[in-house]
Amino acid sequence: MTALLTLDYVAEKMKEFGTAEQVRSNRIRIRTTPERVSNAIQKALDSLGCDRLITISTADNGTTFELFYHLIGPHRTVVSIAIEIPRDQPEVISMSGILSPAGIYERQIHDLFGIMFRGHPGLKKIILNEDWPADEFPLRKDWKKNPDTYYGGIKVERT
Amino acid sequence: MPIGPHHPALKEPVNFRVIADGEKIVRLELDLSYNHRGIEKAAEQRDFIRVLPLLERVCGICSHSHSSAFAKGIEEIMQIEIPPRAQYIRTIIAELERMHSHLLWLGVAAHEIGFNTLFMWTWRDRELVQDTLEEMSGNRVHYGMNEVGGVRCDLTPHQVSTALERLPFLEERIYQYVDMVNAQQTLLLRFKGVGKLTREEVLKYGAVGPTARASGVDYDARRDDPYFVYTEVPWNVVTDTNGDVYGRTCVRIGELRESASIVRYCLENLPEGPVRVNAPKIAPEGEIFSRYEAPRGELAHFIRTNGTNKVERVDIRTPTLANWTSVAMCLVDQNLADIPVIVAAIDPCLSCTSRITLISTPGRKPGIVTFDELRKRGQTYCQEQGPP
Amino acid sequence: MAALPESISQRLVNWARIKSPWITLFNSGACNACDIEVIACLMPRFDIERFGILAKGSPRHADILIVTGHVTLKQASRLRRVWEQIPEPKYVIAMGACGASAGAFHGLYHIMERVEDVIPVDVYAAGCPPRPDEIINAVVTCLNLLKEDQVHGGKEWRQNKSDEMMKPIERKVEM
Repeated sequence: MTALLTLDYVAEKMKEFGTAEQVRSNRIRIRTTPERVSNAIQKALDSLGCDRLITISTADNGTTFELFYHLIGPHRTVVSIAIEIPRDQPEVISMSGILSPAGIYERQIHDLFGIMFRGHPGLKKIILNEDWPADEFPLRKDWKKNPDTYYGGIKVERT
Repeated sequence: MPIGPHHPALKEPVNFRVIADGEKIVRLELDLSYNHRGIEKAAEQRDFIRVLPLLERVCGICSHSHSSAFAKGIEEIMQIEIPPRAQYIRTIIAELERMHSHLLWLGVAAHEIGFNTLFMWTWRDRELVQDTLEEMSGNRVHYGMNEVGGVRCDLTPHQVSTALERLPFLEERIYQYVDMVNAQQTLLLRFKGVGKLTREEVLKYGAVGPTARASGVDYDARRDDPYFVYTEVPWNVVTDTNGDVYGRTCVRIGELRESASIVRYCLENLPEGPVRVNAPKIAPEGEIFSRYEAPRGELAHFIRTNGTNKVERVDIRTPTLANWTSVAMCLVDQNLADIPVIVAAIDPCLSCTSRITLISTPGRKPGIVTFDELRKRGQTYCQEQGPP
Repeated sequence: MAALPESISQRLVNWARIKSPWITLFNSGACNACDIEVIACLMPRFDIERFGILAKGSPRHADILIVTGHVTLKQASRLRRVWEQIPEPKYVIAMGACGASAGAFHGLYHIMERVEDVIPVDVYAAGCPPRPDEIINAVVTCLNLLKEDQVHGGKEWRQNKSDEMMKPIERKVEM
């Protein structure tokens, strides 16, 4: 275990990708764009000393989708790399080539939000029923269950 | 072959397709949809009092972990400090939950290799932990102790003393399990060398919890991102260098010992004071990434609030999901007979009721095998092979 | 309906069914708490095996089906198939608050809300999760139902009585 990363150190190393801010004593968030995110993650793995992906979190704020890649290393600081994706064209490059565990998180996000990950080896349904309609993404803010659709081969009538 | 146990133990529905070549496994694919319920969406419509029982029921075995991770995240966004007595009580319940989960796992792993005596013994000892939890909280599972702002109810001196009386018996039984794991031939034969993961593989595939600590990777969210009273209580992180199922067993038994000593320290040094503070009904806008060490590994809650009395987004990453990639990778080139043991070794917290379909090399017909038959097949295979 | 005259072999089979029913467990997408309470029933503390109740893995050998959890959309068809494989006479125990009305998960998008929507249920065990004592009580209630049904020659007498209670309930679900 090494010492915690400081904001200046991280800001210096990652300044070509975006601004860094210290949101908590052991968490630093860097905002960048979808085109540069794979380079940012590679840089974090190489020079910031991160060696592991914790998870990929998503949020829907009404206008865009936000993705957070949380990385950590022996320095015990969580480096969160945040990007925003437009709602009408939700696409981003897959990280499963650089970070192996990203594959499973991206499949889950694709099922629930409909974000397309280019270059992913196999975006099959993992968490929703295979009979779920292909264009309905439950965790989007504007999704409501349609009473006329069959979900999973079952239509349950309720008033 | 889709694997789906329909057996009395380890009742989780998961379906993963194993593509096998004779007895060796070639590839593994995963399908988790049996247990998906849509909790994250429903949590956005419940206020902070109603969302905690829902989040507790994400998993029945680590229920306190989910509600604690959420409650501590919301308390940090609201910037309130909970009183020390509440922190001690939360730690006691968390460590008791870790003990009951590891004892459960030990029994289930023993059942997988046919060692039913150990199954019965560990579950009988687990009843002592359940009795303690029931006295303190009122329920054997799903304790419901957490509230935003502290703990729901207090511990009476009688409860503290009865819990302290039970601890020596438990500690003695744990020592017996240590001896058993080192001496029993059945265990050693089925556990050693099986499902081995090196340190680099663990980091590459993102494994967490005892699975990672058994390969020497020294991550533990209780030490790296401390919460509750883990900075005040003397305790150690248990690691091992074996990296196989035997190593994971040793790590879990070591953690049982550590948990027992943490519980003893907390019960003996419980500070006086209130057990909750009045939390505001509305949380300010904010975002927090709350990490917690559940019995199975590191649990991550990403919480975002928007200034109302409901949460805007809670994104839950369970430790079992993080461990599945490493299971898929370490099952390649292993024997079919070892599937139950390796899957059980990461301690899955999904519900597995899939049925196993064997798809051998292309050209042969698939057949359906139940997990019971696979387990028996594994046991006869090892008996035929003989001791190494 | 008068009871049919029973032959000796029939009486033997009935006695065996009441004295040692075999149960099978089906998890239809639950959080596992009910499952570990059922397994705790088999363990030395509560030990239902001393009553002759065995937990079998295959539905074809069972008399009683214990369903845990509210049924997820994926498990609904499988639950139906498992239920159809159980030979008559069969009884279903729906465990917990989830089995009765989805419990804490009311209104979620991937679940069926009630076990009753998929298969007919005979006994409900209350609790979240029900204690092992309550599970044993539910199994014993099931056995009493079995005895009564044998006298009346089947389950139909109960169903005619409760038709007016079984009308579909109209529920309002928020999403």
